[in-house]
Amino acid sequence: MSPADKKDKPADYQRVVLKNASPYHYMKVCLVLEDESTRLSAVDLKQFIISGLKSLYGEVGAALTFDLLKYDEDTLTAFLRVNSRGLVKLWSSLTLLGSYQNQACAFRVLQVSPFLLALTGNSRELQLD
Amino acid sequence: MSVFMDLNLSFTADKKLLQSVVETAAHLGFSTVAINYVFEPTAKKKQDIPSPTPINELIDQLPVVQGRSRPIRVLNRLTIVMSDSSHFRPNAAEYRCFDLLAVQPTTDKLFHAVDRGVVFEVSYSAAIRDSTMRRYTIANAVSLMDTCKGKNVILSSAAEKPLELRGPYDITNLGLLFGLSDGDAKEAVSSTCRSVVLHAETRRTASGIISTMRSCSESSCQQEAPPAAADSEAPAAKRAKHQLPDD
Repeated sequence: MSPADKKDKPADYQRVVLKNASPYHYMKVCLVLEDESTRLSAVDLKQFIISGLKSLYGEVGAALTFDLLKYDEDTLTAFLRVNSRGLVKLWSSLTLLGSYQNQACAFRVLQVSPFLLALTGNSRELQLD
Repeated sequence: MSVFMDLNLSFTADKKLLQSVVETAAHLGFSTVAINYVFEPTAKKKQDIPSPTPINELIDQLPVVQGRSRPIRVLNRLTIVMSDSSHFRPNAAEYRCFDLLAVQPTTDKLFHAVDRGVVFEVSYSAAIRDSTMRRYTIANAVSLMDTCKGKNVILSSAAEKPLELRGPYDITNLGLLFGLSDGDAKEAVSSTCRSVVLHAETRRTASGIISTMRSCSESSCQQEAPPAAADSEAPAAKRAKHQLPDD
């Protein structure tokens, strides 16, 4: 085709709509404890979350596979990955977890997204100087 | 942007604790909170209804809500625990200093008496503190959602400490657990709460149109706010649509 023909023909656009595109959901969570100097290892944290799932949903809940992708021990911030079907279960068991080794605690869910890239930026922490 | 509200924060006499609870609520993204005073009248002697401490005495500076530029709005709320509906007179003068009124029924018959279009509230912090209460909370919430079909319900904490508060999207997720649909669960934290607060304002006004204020001028006489032109104004239409008296 000559360049002139190409210009005359209108461009082809194709719209793609994806529903439930990603098999996984990613969550960025932070654990806030009453005693702020307590430290947990990655294994401790995963065990704690599994115990929360077990107390709310039983053995079936504890069998829900999720992965701890990244963990920062100083700020107790973690990236979790879970199957999209298990998101509501995991999220609600994180919400209802109230105590870690007899001290009060709270899981603050900072971001949830089906795409890991979306977790790199957070408009809530945006600082405009 | 939707406005999230948590209409049940327990009142404590500890000023610092209350201030930290309100600060945590502002940090989590709640635009409005209500401090709840619980009053349980006993039949023996007539007790005084507690009067709310003014907000500026409780909290020095209202924290700014995360994601917005305005400070958090703090309301006063009274919960009356009662078993008999004859005690309740909604227009008593002592109730005027409270922005919201709530009733905690202890018997079935009161439930039937207040069946006309009120908003029901489910508190979730009991589920965080204790595992037996967790079962009761979920069971009662599920049966409530069955009865009211998911409309006219609000979810709130009854938080006594800042670690018992949860963010608005976390509570929306809990609503899914209680049997609400996606849209209903978010409404339970945002638009239904907002309609409760708006309706509570109409309690002090005549049909939501005219309100009177005592003016602080030398004459110290009552002054009327300018009345609306016709009865078919927006507030009257809002009342017909939403039907939320007395929460």
